Amino acid sequence: MISDFFHPEVGGVENHIYMLGASLIRRGHKVIVITHSHPPDRVGVRWLVPGLKVYHIPFPTLVSSATLPNFLTFLPYFRTIVLRERITLIHSHASLSSLGHEGILHAHLLGVRTVFTDHSLFGFDDAASILTNKLLEGMLRNVDAAICVSYIGRENTVLRANLPPKSVYVIPNAIVADNFRPAHSRPHTDTITIIVISRLAYRKGVDLLVATAPRICAAFPDVRFVVGGDGPKMADLLQMRETHFLQDRITVLGPVVHRDVPSVLRQGSIFLNTSLTEAFGIAILEAACAGLHVVSTRVGGVPEILPEDMISFAAPTADDVFRAMSEAIALVAQGGHDPHRAHQRIRGFYDWTRVAERTEVVYRNVLATPPYSLWTRIERTMGLGPFVGPIYTVILIVDCLFFALLERWMPRENIDYVDVKWDATRFETVGFL
Amino acid sequence: MATTEPDRTGEDGHEWERVLWRLQPFPDNYVPPTFLAGLSKNPNVLPYRCWPLMLGACTISQHLSVIFVFLAVFTHLLNHTLDPRLLVVLSSATFVVGCIIWETMEHFGRDAAGNAPSDRRARTVKASLLIFLALIALAPILRTLTAPTSADSISALTTALFLVHAALADYSYYAASPVRRERLTSVLSINAAISAAVVLASRLHDDLAVFGLMLFSVEAFALFPIFRRRIQSMPAPVQTLVTLLLGLAALAAPLPILCAAVLISVTFGAPAVLMWAQQYKYEIRGPWDAATPRGFERVESG
Repeated sequence: MISDFFHPEVGGVENHIYMLGASLIRRGHKVIVITHSHPPDRVGVRWLVPGLKVYHIPFPTLVSSATLPNFLTFLPYFRTIVLRERITLIHSHASLSSLGHEGILHAHLLGVRTVFTDHSLFGFDDAASILTNKLLEGMLRNVDAAICVSYIGRENTVLRANLPPKSVYVIPNAIVADNFRPAHSRPHTDTITIIVISRLAYRKGVDLLVATAPRICAAFPDVRFVVGGDGPKMADLLQMRETHFLQDRITVLGPVVHRDVPSVLRQGSIFLNTSLTEAFGIAILEAACAGLHVVSTRVGGVPEILPEDMISFAAPTADDVFRAMSEAIALVAQGGHDPHRAHQRIRGFYDWTRVAERTEVVYRNVLATPPYSLWTRIERTMGLGPFVGPIYTVILIVDCLFFALLERWMPRENIDYVDVKWDATRFETVGFL
Repeated sequence: MATTEPDRTGEDGHEWERVLWRLQPFPDNYVPPTFLAGLSKNPNVLPYRCWPLMLGACTISQHLSVIFVFLAVFTHLLNHTLDPRLLVVLSSATFVVGCIIWETMEHFGRDAAGNAPSDRRARTVKASLLIFLALIALAPILRTLTAPTSADSISALTTALFLVHAALADYSYYAASPVRRERLTSVLSINAAISAAVVLASRLHDDLAVFGLMLFSVEAFALFPIFRRRIQSMPAPVQTLVTLLLGLAALAAPLPILCAAVLISVTFGAPAVLMWAQQYKYEIRGPWDAATPRGFERVESG
């Protein structure tokens, strides 16, 4: 697994890599993670709990934990790690991780196959999207398979990276249902608490929240809000609370650590999500798992993740969010939503072990197909376009020459191979776990 | 694992559904028949029409024509083929006529305009007198400003400044809204033009010519854009007429053929290129795009 985004950073991608890695280890695979280092303390090689080995490459980060796309400098580290760990397949994550892209570029030199997972949706109409989409297309030209987390994500990735739809798989995220148990006692039915946990940013639809919360508070005197999260739109939220004198009705928690999310969720009975775009919506899933009725805007992959009776949809307008919230409040007030039943259903839907199994199928399919020859790779890369094609081809050829140089400079005999496998059962017998 | 054969329905005749929460009897890379059904190409593209485009280009032509007219006036002043006194008289007359036209349009445009027109007129007269006197006082200083600078530096600097002026000018149309925030770029544009005028005026030989040119520059670059925006709300024949008149006047500039070529390519060539390029328009929209929240007034942040 290669990605710029990994522990100690927190987020959807980071958690996905860790959980998938841990589940694959349980199924008897050997998994290592390559990411960039977080100086001063998170450098070198580390082990995470179920025997997940993490290599931290000393690359400086550019913005929001992504490294600079430099195409070649990762190769010496990559070659050594892949050889000494005897890797057969690399799985790169997130379309803005240049470390992951570089892994896909170098993998064929060592006869290693490639899988890529895309976690987000991108548009096609602004300059940044056009640039990153072109970068993605160039990097995914020779990838063996891609995985997306939702059907909408798959359509988006197929268009962005110009991939054949057949080589793109859909494997949803999963959650650890045990962490999101509903509260044992039913919450008091006289006050209904609405939970919002989200980054307070434009893309998360905070404007909609700010516009509808006062109306809901005015229409339903026994409703209160708990808002968790921080972001640039925090000021708008606080301003709204002051102008409408709702300090006692709307609790603003500020930033919430992921560990505390379940306890926040357990306080409420309705979860409101006003996102304007969402590839998967793991927060919605967590809320539903904790027994909350979900009200969400109908955007992106959200309609795919839950059956219609567990979620109420609204169009992204203030009026419609208000309508959906009124219906949900009426439903919950009548006791029409059973948190424990919801929890049990989610538990049956989403499970990391199943994700690992389905990912394994992708790996097997990839390993069963013959790899592209170097000449095919060059031809395919040239087919990218009259300007981009030659540029990527030059990168590809320089990469091959660099690899040949490394073969001479650091011969394979001198590499310190890892032949000892982490054995969880032995660890248990010694008594550490 | 049945991962390669694409079966239309699953083993029990299940229809494929676009849901993630149920495990379906299809491989994960199954391509459903509804794949990319939400994709729409060029959904909100309005094809450009020929006449509105050319009318829009008229604005730019008018602006460029004014620059060329200014250059023509400068050349004639420099060659002593234009009497500076005539220029001052003409400029003042144009200003008065312009003011009268403006007032008339104001009168016919909206009768019930508030904010005390007499007060506004008084302010206008005061400001114009102030500028008039300031320019008279500054003329001797401006005349010798760039005496030690060589002529080609001056032409290079002027060209650059006029290019900045033309590039940053505000060509946008506004429908007579009284409250309007001037954009930074249009302020920069006026500054560039006035600087160019100062640089050119400093090459002239007598104070009156310098004063005349500066007066003309203030009219052409500071006042005309305001007037031009008003013309934009007028019917198409008026716009065409103004453009034609200004274009003919521009032919008095030092390089008439070049000026004519620029004006023709801007008025006819540029819209034609845009019309032709429309066939390559390819806009992709789909359910993955960020939704636009609607139905409330945006809260101003900060």
